[in-house]
Amino acid sequence: MNAATQPVIETLGLVKDFGRTRALDGLNLSVAAGEIHGFLGPNGAGKSTTLRVLLGLIRPTAGTARVFGLDPWADPVATHRDIAYVPGDVSLWPNLSGGEVIDLLTGLRGGADGNLRRELIEEFEFEPRKKARTYSKGNRQKVALIAAFARPARLYLLDEPSAGLDPVMDAVFRRHIERVSRGGATVLLSSHILSEVEQLCDRITIIRSGAAVETGTLSELRHLKRTHFRVTGLAEPARLAALPGMHGISIDGAAAEFDADAADLGAVLAGIAESGISGLSVAPPSLESLFLRHYSDGNGRKVL
Amino acid sequence: MHGVLRLALFQTRRDRVTLPVWILSITLLGFATSSAVVTQFGDEPSQAAILTLAASNPAFLFLRGLPDGTGVGAVVFFQGYAFTAVLAGLMSTFLVVRHTRTDEELGRAELLGSVPLPRAASLAATLLLGAAANLLLAVFVAAGFVAAGLELPGAAGAGAAVGAVGVFFVGLAAVIAQVLPSGRSANGAAAGLVGAAYLLRGVGDALGTPAADLLHVSSAWPSVLSPIGWGQRVRPFTGSDLSALLVLLAAALVLATAAVLIRQRRDVGASILPQRDGRERAGAGGTSFVGLAWRLQRSTLAGWSVGAAVLGAVAGALGPLVSETISSVAPLRDLISRLMPGGQTGLIDVFVTALLGVAGVFAAAAGIQAVLRMRAEEIEGRAELLLAAPLSRGRWLGANLFVAALSAVVVSGTAGVSAAIGLGLSGTANGPAGSVVPAALAHVPAAFVFLAAASVVFAFAPRLSVLLGWGMLAAGLVLGEFGELFGLPVWLQDVSPFRHSSAMPVEPFDPAGALGLAVIAAALAALATYVIQRRDLTA
Repeated sequence: MNAATQPVIETLGLVKDFGRTRALDGLNLSVAAGEIHGFLGPNGAGKSTTLRVLLGLIRPTAGTARVFGLDPWADPVATHRDIAYVPGDVSLWPNLSGGEVIDLLTGLRGGADGNLRRELIEEFEFEPRKKARTYSKGNRQKVALIAAFARPARLYLLDEPSAGLDPVMDAVFRRHIERVSRGGATVLLSSHILSEVEQLCDRITIIRSGAAVETGTLSELRHLKRTHFRVTGLAEPARLAALPGMHGISIDGAAAEFDADAADLGAVLAGIAESGISGLSVAPPSLESLFLRHYSDGNGRKVL
Repeated sequence: MHGVLRLALFQTRRDRVTLPVWILSITLLGFATSSAVVTQFGDEPSQAAILTLAASNPAFLFLRGLPDGTGVGAVVFFQGYAFTAVLAGLMSTFLVVRHTRTDEELGRAELLGSVPLPRAASLAATLLLGAAANLLLAVFVAAGFVAAGLELPGAAGAGAAVGAVGVFFVGLAAVIAQVLPSGRSANGAAAGLVGAAYLLRGVGDALGTPAADLLHVSSAWPSVLSPIGWGQRVRPFTGSDLSALLVLLAAALVLATAAVLIRQRRDVGASILPQRDGRERAGAGGTSFVGLAWRLQRSTLAGWSVGAAVLGAVAGALGPLVSETISSVAPLRDLISRLMPGGQTGLIDVFVTALLGVAGVFAAAAGIQAVLRMRAEEIEGRAELLLAAPLSRGRWLGANLFVAALSAVVVSGTAGVSAAIGLGLSGTANGPAGSVVPAALAHVPAAFVFLAAASVVFAFAPRLSVLLGWGMLAAGLVLGEFGELFGLPVWLQDVSPFRHSSAMPVEPFDPAGALGLAVIAAALAALATYVIQRRDLTA
């Protein structure tokens, strides 16, 4: 495999046990150079554990992990040289100001780009003089994001980075993801919110109970997408069952709830329109409901 | 009231491990001291001998307290009270800050602030828990003394004295928690005031006036300023004057009321001294592991250095003064000239040596604190941020060990310099005052061993590092300071690194001992650096 086609991240059969709990159970993950890869799974599926293995902070029990072709456990320093990392739960030094923490974290990686740092602080509307102990969760998140983006990297490992950001700040975050991606960087973005990943990512890997259950581009994963409908005032609710791509229909008098496959949305909409409805609400598919549907045991953890 | 009780029970549950450990450790120290006195100084002549020796030695008076006549109980109280009272004070201040300022800082208080109870309910619950913990401590300490063979009324009085000091510090810490913005600063200030109380009592006792029989010493005025000094006035085994305790309890009540009134009137999270803003950019040193370690250690180091400077100043300025006081008492002067060939100069040396030894313990503690900060970084997730940088864990450990070692040198050096200045100002013609600085630095190698050992525990068994890090210092202190009193075998006493430091200027410098300690410290540090690269980061 030559350098051009070599994946930036590649794990094979990754296993990590914490005592009697198996956090990773044979995880295979491959992220190609230059792509924005969504790493999707419910809480406790093993996303943060995977990122920690990729950083060489913890050693896999079995299997291999390669980042830039290097073993992060054996050679963390060389691996980290081109990585920017945002942990899921950002904890800062309470007696340092936000500006000092940003300088520390970028300084350890070789120094920030001064203009970028200034722009980021402005765009994120961040107050760098306050002591970290006074920051809210969102502000702590901003510190880690500014530090990650204020210096160019080849790989961005982001663990639920936009949790705690308001929609305006989330847009700033997305803009910078797109900026570094245009510059050729690779991004691994973990999340438990499908819609968040959908907008940004080229490819997605879904992880459950420490193993990858689905991986592919968004259109390849189309079959996972179902839209939730709630309709009222149906003249003949029983006719719903005859429509294509319908799942989990529950009827309560003239009201009904059901899920519809993305591919059959047109037929479904036409079908319910004919039934003379008086109210309609449509919800995008949540990852949690997807998991509940596809894997009835939820995120059950194997105990050794 | 019902709600306050519920909160107090909840806080008790949070402390279900911490408080029993404190109470049992303090009880055990009291019990061990009294059984050691019972076995070693069981008869009156040997009691008289130790008391006379102490009355003639201001270092003894400074560290331990006032001799108060013969009798096993009186000797036990003299030997053990001051240390026990300091521990009761620390137990109480940490307890209060943990449930008040720290909870507010971490946002837990906000959660409880939404229940239908008065604003100060949680603080009232903490005060209640503090009082109950000290009542329990008083009962346990008394029971420990009785178990060691002391008579009940005296034991009860001694327990009450310790408990009352604890209650005073509950009130004081409650006020401090209203004043300072963070749990860390409140803990530091409160612990500093416990130290100041011990110090004031020590100064008062060292300057005290020995009675003609040399079996009693009455303290000088600085002792009145110290709550620990007030507890000592109880003299439970001879005079048993419990009215001194009323002073402590009344003061505690006033402080607690003040704290409650402040809490009723302030916002959650607010403090009388507000949180100031920091700098917008890190300084030149703020972008490296060493810079960070220094930044996080410097206020802690300042605290230990102030303590060491005060100790040094006491040693330098007070030594000559006390030796004059003592020499003015004729029988004492005779005794000293028989015991110490150097006479008055020898006495100053003993005093200086003892206090520099204590500064050496401070140095070790400052270093251990720097090392254990790595564990806090790991638990709270900040180590993950740091170690995602392209720098090895070995460098991270090395940076922290460097700052820890530097701290030990600074603390010892500060004590030495301040003692030298004190001796110079008091015009003691006791050799070059500069020789005191090397005497202080002679304790640095032992401090290195402690901080390097703490780093090995951190590397091998991170979850035990706080417990063992401080536990090793406590063990070293008990073996080194109390080993002889407890009659422990010499080889066991020799396990303590403190035993291998040169007690200068009384003893000459022992290069072999210092080198041995330094080599052990270096080997431990190398081991820790090797091991830390080979384990998972564990919360």
